[in-house]
Amino acid sequence: MSAALPPQPTPVRRGSSLHRRPRLGELLDGDSFTDVVRGFCELYKVGIKVFDERGGKLVDIHVGNGDFCGYVFSFPEGRHRCTATVGRVKDGPLALTDDARAPLMQEPAPHGLITVPCFTGLRYLVMPVLWEGDVLGRVVLGPFVPEDLDGLPETLTRIGALDLARAEQLLSRVRRAPEGAVARVVEHFCQVLEALVASGQKVFLTSAVHIEATLETNRQLEEQNRRLEEMNQRLKELDRLKSSFLATVSHELRTPLTSIIGYSEMLAEGLAGALNGEQSEYVHTIMEKGETLLKLISSILDLNQIEAGKVRLVFESVQLRQLVASAVSSVTPQAQKKGVRLESHAPSGELVPVMADRDRLRQAVVNLLANAVKFTPPGGTVKLSLSPVEPQPELVAPGYRVVVEDSGVGIARDELDKIFRSFYQVDGSSTREYGGAGLGLAIVKSFVEGHGGQVNVESTVGLGSRFTMVLPSRPADPQHPVQVALPGAHGEPDRF
Amino acid sequence: MQLNHAQRELTLKVVYYGPGLSGKTTNLQQLHARTSREVRGRLMTVETRDDRTLFFDLLPVFFESSSGYKVKVKLFTVPGQVIHNATRRIVLQSADAVAFIADGRRSATEDNNAYWRNLEENMRENGLDPAEVPRVIQFNKRDLPDARTDEEMEEARHRGREPVIGAVAIRGEGVLETFHAVLKEAWRALDGRHGLARLVGLDEDEFLHKLLDPMDLAGTALETLYGAGRVAGVRRGGS
Repeated sequence: MSAALPPQPTPVRRGSSLHRRPRLGELLDGDSFTDVVRGFCELYKVGIKVFDERGGKLVDIHVGNGDFCGYVFSFPEGRHRCTATVGRVKDGPLALTDDARAPLMQEPAPHGLITVPCFTGLRYLVMPVLWEGDVLGRVVLGPFVPEDLDGLPETLTRIGALDLARAEQLLSRVRRAPEGAVARVVEHFCQVLEALVASGQKVFLTSAVHIEATLETNRQLEEQNRRLEEMNQRLKELDRLKSSFLATVSHELRTPLTSIIGYSEMLAEGLAGALNGEQSEYVHTIMEKGETLLKLISSILDLNQIEAGKVRLVFESVQLRQLVASAVSSVTPQAQKKGVRLESHAPSGELVPVMADRDRLRQAVVNLLANAVKFTPPGGTVKLSLSPVEPQPELVAPGYRVVVEDSGVGIARDELDKIFRSFYQVDGSSTREYGGAGLGLAIVKSFVEGHGGQVNVESTVGLGSRFTMVLPSRPADPQHPVQVALPGAHGEPDRF
Repeated sequence: MQLNHAQRELTLKVVYYGPGLSGKTTNLQQLHARTSREVRGRLMTVETRDDRTLFFDLLPVFFESSSGYKVKVKLFTVPGQVIHNATRRIVLQSADAVAFIADGRRSATEDNNAYWRNLEENMRENGLDPAEVPRVIQFNKRDLPDARTDEEMEEARHRGREPVIGAVAIRGEGVLETFHAVLKEAWRALDGRHGLARLVGLDEDEFLHKLLDPMDLAGTALETLYGAGRVAGVRRGGS
């Protein structure tokens, strides 16, 4: 059964900012834009207002007209007409309708510019802010006193209570200029505004796309993580199935094999009648190959159990000298048969007993010795050295070393870290020179690590190899495995 | 396509796609140079220090139809560099047509194929059906020594359904022809799917004329079909 994965939210795609038309206010930096407009107003002594397409005011700078307009505004009729003019300027159509007319100027008027006269004789110039053919807002310049204004108009003078002298006096503070000149100021201002909008648009799109790209990349990574997680789960499941399959098969193979060996033994012992020389030889071959097969199957089973975490090491007090001697004696026939010299060196004097799983440790030493004999040509030497119990640099606790050196074929540098893998052989071809399933060293590694020790190898191709097992003399109790606390796993509680 | 009936606005999106340095930006620069100010916006390019497009270029062209619709065609390029796939995908979102700018040199064949596949993958990721969104292929850099011959281009044409156009974008050759082809394909696909002509009261002829008439078509194959002096929006018999 595979572990259930949390349901994945379907990625929601928002509409890209590439498809959204930004508002004028989003493209301009409010404060610095106000500074630019104020600079213009001070230079030309005329007020400027900028509105977005919905009539929202972005900037409103008054120059010179405040007192005059305030005075006119203080009369009910003035207030009424002033409000109408301001409304026309701010929200009215950007077309030559509703009192608006084309500006009076020699040169062709800038595209879209209109003049809106005020009943006081003052004038406004209104120009659309265009972007990609869309109106993003409008620029209103004024009010100003047109050069051609000759005295106060009747629309103003007929306001009953108006003090004409005072009105004239206040009007003189308002900028007087030819309409054509003011039109050029608007045009110039709009060019500056367009440049600001262009860079604003660029920044707007760049940052928006940058954020979207980052989110998109993140989404992809999450997707990949999810897939990897799934795959990992499947692999774990397959690995478990493999282990379980191997265990079953090994077990099923062993049962009939034991019978084959048993009956061969009975034949060899003459229980079914005497055998002639040739028959006896054949039966011995059957027995020998059967034993080899049984050993192989047992190794598979061992390793499988180690991998499945089913092997529990049982530690007891062990005399190393005896253990090593027993291991050496079990590979001696093999070495003699091949013509390889087997040497064993142990420190003189009494050795302190150590805690270890006797059978597994012996198995590990046997495997190392058998491996060394297998890869050493006739006439070569395999040497085992046992160290006394003393502090070991690789371990925090005191321990001992078992070193197996041979004068065999050696192992290439890039193969060194692979030889401890299950089923690995340096020569992986089907016609390889040396037999075996490639399990011996994997088992050594598992057993040694089960003791809290380590095994490593040094080798020179053509000269030989040296395997070193370093084991602690008092391994941690396997019933209470040592747990390494992960940083942050336990400790301080969450801050938020 | 974005259609806003209330504001009477129609916006189409055409994406110039292709491998890095195949000439996508050059195509847009040439179009920009040959289009009059009244019908186009600024060409916006965000570049890195090595002069290659980082994010994208954007060139909007627009007109008002006789039915009173404001029609905008937004031309985008994608960043060609391999690492910018996320940006390519975002720019490609809801594209109405794609102009695939291939490097016409034989040595670039592998790159072209990789980006064509990348285009299809990104289209699918964006929910665009490669069979429904029309594509036009431009073989650019035909002036270079290693460029494909006419026969090889013919061969490429027969390998798919997409129109294939040769170009030397840096000299403006083939740029307007590609633009024209991709506009036509986009219009036909959208009209076929959404009945666009009826929806906005604009036919293919007016659509193409309004966009191409204000362009400088001198020296191109389109000179006799469009251009100043011709009345935009008038369907001429037989054309």
